[in-house]
Amino acid sequence: MAGFLDNVRLPECECIDWGERRNAVASIVAGVLFFTGWWIMIDAAVTYPTQVEMNHAFHTCGVFSTLAFFMINAVSNGQVRGDTYGEGCFGRTGARLWLFIGFMMMFGSLIASIWILFGGFVVPKKDVYPGLAVFFQNALIFFSTLIYKFGRTEDLWA
Amino acid sequence: MAGIKALISLSFGGAIGLMFLMLGCALPVYDKYWPLFLLFFYILAPIPYCISRRVGDDTDSASNACKELALFLTTGIVVSAFGLPIVFARAEVIAWGACALVLTGNAVIFATILGFFLVFGSNDDFSWQQW
Repeated sequence: MAGFLDNVRLPECECIDWGERRNAVASIVAGVLFFTGWWIMIDAAVTYPTQVEMNHAFHTCGVFSTLAFFMINAVSNGQVRGDTYGEGCFGRTGARLWLFIGFMMMFGSLIASIWILFGGFVVPKKDVYPGLAVFFQNALIFFSTLIYKFGRTEDLWA
Repeated sequence: MAGIKALISLSFGGAIGLMFLMLGCALPVYDKYWPLFLLFFYILAPIPYCISRRVGDDTDSASNACKELALFLTTGIVVSAFGLPIVFARAEVIAWGACALVLTGNAVIFATILGFFLVFGSNDDFSWQQW
């Protein structure tokens, strides 16, 4: 009973050769997610232009998410592990600190967007679309960051 | 040279795409020229990849990061070119019919640009002297 699904296998997807193209596919998927997030927010800002319908301060979350995206992707995994050539200004510890702050900003923006959705739109029973837009913008930027950061390999000598 | 036929069909594709864009603007029932801002995106779209082709290939490892960033930015430009007409239509700046025509034109033009890179860009030493 415990292992009765062990022999069930999904059909192998042989059509796509992931090896060579993995980095390119990851970059493209990350790009689609990131910019779709921003266009959702632009759409919400255009269709709900007044301060009452959507407080303009809610754009801050997206800005911090974007800043976090660039911070997280500015350091390569090699620099965090410590196996690159130059020491740089702060070395490996600096790279780790930079990455830490970047991830904190990213998680903070995501949590803030969820808070905005529920606290600013669901609970006061306003039209919820701008709140959903803020949430989706930050969630999409978050996933885009993860895919761009971890979906690419850095095999230098492949 | 990968062939005159490819060049002619790509230029035909480009003309059809621009035709759809202009139809979306200039038909008397629409008569709004806001979608012409998309020309800006069409011109920007090949630039990141071209820059990464020129700047890269110094060392094998570093060039990949540049190429990936270029792919990211190019994807962003393409998504923006699809997003802008939709936002225009939702804001009722243009009609939805015009939006549909413009999106069709987008698809054709980006397919043309992609085709241009696939057909003419894939030689290993990409040097400008070839032209």
